[in-house]
Amino acid sequence: MALVLALLLVALSGCGSWSWVRRSAGPIGLGQDNRQDPALSGNGRLLASIVERSGRDTVILQEQPSGRLLPLGPLQRQQPHRSPSLSWNGRYLAVIVQQGARRLSVIEDRSNGQLHRLPLPADSEPQRLSLAPDGRRLAIEVVRGGRSLVQMFDLSSLLEADLPGGLPTTGGGLVDGEAAPGQR
Amino acid sequence: MKRFRLGRSQGVRWNLSGFKPGWIRPVGLSLLHLGGLSLLGLGLGGCMGEMPRPMGGLDRQLEQAGSSSAPALAGRWLALIAGRGGRDQVLLVDVERGLPVPLPGLNRPDAQPLSVAVNRDGNRLAVVRQRDGQTELVLYRRELMALESVAMQPPGVPRRVSLRGDGHELAVEVSRGGLWQIDLIAIP
Repeated sequence: MALVLALLLVALSGCGSWSWVRRSAGPIGLGQDNRQDPALSGNGRLLASIVERSGRDTVILQEQPSGRLLPLGPLQRQQPHRSPSLSWNGRYLAVIVQQGARRLSVIEDRSNGQLHRLPLPADSEPQRLSLAPDGRRLAIEVVRGGRSLVQMFDLSSLLEADLPGGLPTTGGGLVDGEAAPGQR
Repeated sequence: MKRFRLGRSQGVRWNLSGFKPGWIRPVGLSLLHLGGLSLLGLGLGGCMGEMPRPMGGLDRQLEQAGSSSAPALAGRWLALIAGRGGRDQVLLVDVERGLPVPLPGLNRPDAQPLSVAVNRDGNRLAVVRQRDGQTELVLYRRELMALESVAMQPPGVPRRVSLRGDGHELAVEVSRGGLWQIDLIAIP
């Protein structure tokens, strides 16, 4: 009887979602914070999400599984942010920012701190985006004439590819391994 | 938790007549015109920043599919939610071929998808959807045509989901007690 039960448990542990390993993305400050819009890098080493900072939605970047916060470059000044998306090694972070009365899709190259602005036609307002893990394509959900549409863009002439096996990026234009101010 | 094995069925197709993926090239222009257009492009580029190059053929196909939202890219795959007449479904498009692929058993008339993610080889899709007044997270394995419910523990209401490239971990935004949290779930 015991053997049957043991075999049953082993069988169930292989297929039941209750056996999957779960964890919280980890604390990011004192107290409890709302955290939204999760985006994993292709290799799973980085997690981008949106938190509220001084009343404005702000993208943060955390190393996994440590939860250590990583620095961002010019992006950190263009809140509110929404819909972050990361490339494979996290070299590129794409996000929608607010610029005056308009929303704009931007991509930060964390290897050098360069910000690529991706203007859209005046009648298109970006809502959500997704950057291909290799950084060569971008899909943007826009609202045009009251209708949601996904539009695809080829970025291969703008960005170097970020492929599996590439080097991790420390961020904020820093060389990998260099200490970043304010990082935990 | 339940695991469903689903039978093979016909997937979503769109009318491909006249569809050629890629950028539309201007035709019938002289070299002078092209030179002028290039200079204009360079000038505008300098004022407006880099211009992403639209993938016009695919965009037209997506537009014909009705409204579309919640895009997720990985590898050669674009997952999104598309619908017409208020009935939405998950689409998985092979971007390089410009064609949707069948997802037998994933879409059902009584379910409203809210968020979708796909892994690099296009075999795993994570979907948040509403069904019978409940919001649930499901994992779809395309090669097996198998759908698996992913329970929120502790209980909560999922909203947006992201998948790691290999499809063996997902991050999901969950509402618990009036607070939005992010859970990371390893998937065998």
